[in-house]
Amino acid sequence: MFKADRFIEETIENLKKEISGKALIAFSGGVDSTVCAALVNKAIGKNLVAVHVDTGYMRKNESSDVKKLMQRMDLNFRFVDASKEFYGALKGVTEPEKKRKIIGEKFIRVFEKVAKEEKIQYLVQGTIAPDWIESGGELRDTIKSHHNVGGLPKDMKLKLVEPLRDLYKDEVRAVARELKLEVSERQPFPGPGLAVRILGEASPERVEVVRDACFIVEDEIDKAVKAGIMEHPWQYFAVLLPVRSVGVHGDRRAYGDVIAVRSVESLDAMTCNYSGIPHDVLDKISTRITNTLKEKVNRVVYDITNKPPGTVEWE
Amino acid sequence: MVKIFVVDNGGQWTHREWRTLRDLNVETKIVPNTISFDELVREDINGLVLSGGAPRIGLDGTLGNTDEILKKANFPILGICAGHQYIARFFGGEAKPAEKPEFGKIQLIILKEDAIFEGVPKKSIVWESHNDEVTKLPSSFICLAKSESCKIQAMKHKNKPFYGFQFHPEVEHTEYGELIFENFVKLCKL
Repeated sequence: MFKADRFIEETIENLKKEISGKALIAFSGGVDSTVCAALVNKAIGKNLVAVHVDTGYMRKNESSDVKKLMQRMDLNFRFVDASKEFYGALKGVTEPEKKRKIIGEKFIRVFEKVAKEEKIQYLVQGTIAPDWIESGGELRDTIKSHHNVGGLPKDMKLKLVEPLRDLYKDEVRAVARELKLEVSERQPFPGPGLAVRILGEASPERVEVVRDACFIVEDEIDKAVKAGIMEHPWQYFAVLLPVRSVGVHGDRRAYGDVIAVRSVESLDAMTCNYSGIPHDVLDKISTRITNTLKEKVNRVVYDITNKPPGTVEWE
Repeated sequence: MVKIFVVDNGGQWTHREWRTLRDLNVETKIVPNTISFDELVREDINGLVLSGGAPRIGLDGTLGNTDEILKKANFPILGICAGHQYIARFFGGEAKPAEKPEFGKIQLIILKEDAIFEGVPKKSIVWESHNDEVTKLPSSFICLAKSESCKIQAMKHKNKPFYGFQFHPEVEHTEYGELIFENFVKLCKL
C-alpha cells in the first residue's frame, strides 16, 4: 500500500541529494505542483523559487488566488503575467496537439528567463503518472502531449526534477493531506488551462465565454453539494464547442455557440465514468449559462462519455 | 514477499498493473519486453504480467522476447489485452480485429469457475479498451469468460498456470479487479 508519510520522508531525502543550489518550481496552484513545492521547500528551503505564470487561460480569479496561496505558504515566489504572449502564440491555432506543444514551449521560455536571472539550473515539475503515460513515447502511443512532458522543447537545458512521477492523483492527495495543505481536495485543472476547453481557436474573446461557463458549472455544482443534493464530482467544467446552432430569443432568431457540460468520477484519471448530475442542477446550469452568455451561447449539452473511449478533457 | 514483474508492451495501464500489485504488497517492477528469460530466473520471480499495448501489437510480429518466456516459464503468467492475444497466437490460436470492439463499461460473464475468479460473481462490470480480440482459442486452452460482443474474455492453459484476459482487471472501474489480482497473487505463491 502507498504510505504518504514514508513517501514524504524518502522524497525529501532524495531531493536533498538531487538538487544542489537553487531550483525553480512551475507552480500552478493545483494539488500536484503545490505538493511538489511543499516537499522541495522542506528539502532546500529558500533556495526554491516558485513561479506562477498567468497564461490568460486560467479560471476566474485563479491567478490572483494562487498569488495569495504562495504568500500563505511563505514561498519565495515570482508571478509572471504572460497572457499576451500566450494569446499571440496561439492565434489561428486549432489543432489540439499543436496547441499543447506551443503552450509547453511558452511555459519553458518563461521559466528559462527567470532561471537565467536567478542563476537556477533545476526545474521542478509536479508531473504525475498519467502525464507521461498519455504523452507516449517508444512503445506507447501518444494520447495527448501533456505540456509538461510531451510539450517540452527539445533544446531545454534546465535539469528536470519530478518527485511525483510514479503517483496518481489520489496518492498525491494523500500526500497533500499528510502535509496539511489546503489544496488537497481541489479538482484537477489541466496545465494548458482553458485553451484545451475551447475547441478550435483559443482566442481571447472565446476564453471569456468558456471562463464564465466554467465558473457557472463550478458554482452551481458547489452550491448543490453544499445543499446536500449531490456529492462533489471528481472533476467538472464547461467546454466551448466549435459549432453553432439555431435558437430563438424573444421571438427573434438566434444563432450561437454550444457549451458542453463535462463532469466525471474517477480515482486516478486513467478510467472515468460520467457523473449523474441531478436534472434540477443541470437545469440551473443550462438556464444560467444561456441567460448570462445570451449574446454568445444559446445551447447547452451534457457529455455522457466514459473514459475510455473518451478522455476527461476534450482535447 | 511474493515477487511479480510487469512486462511493458506499451499499454496505457501498464503502470496501473504495477500499482495494483504494489498495493497488494507484492514486490514488483516494470520491465521491458526485451528482458531475457535468464534474467527473470536470476531475479527469482514468482509470476509475471504481460501488459496490453498500442493497437495491433498483439496481432503480428513478435513481442520482444515474450516467445522465449512463454516457452520456458513454469511460473504463473497473466496476459492482459494485447498480452492475452499474443499468448493465444503463440499457442496456436488466432487474434484478429474484433467485429465489435469494446471500450469502457462492459458486463463480464464467467463461464467456468476457476481459482482466478474466486469470489467474483458470475456477472460483473469490467472495463475494456480493445480493437482486436482472440478469435480462435488455442487447443491447449479453455475459455473461462465471455461478454456480449467478445466470446473469449478470459482463458486458461490446461496444464500450465498461464492466463489471458481481454478485459482490464488493473483499472479502478473494474468492479472486482483488485480481487482478481489478489487471486493471481495467491496462484503465484503456490
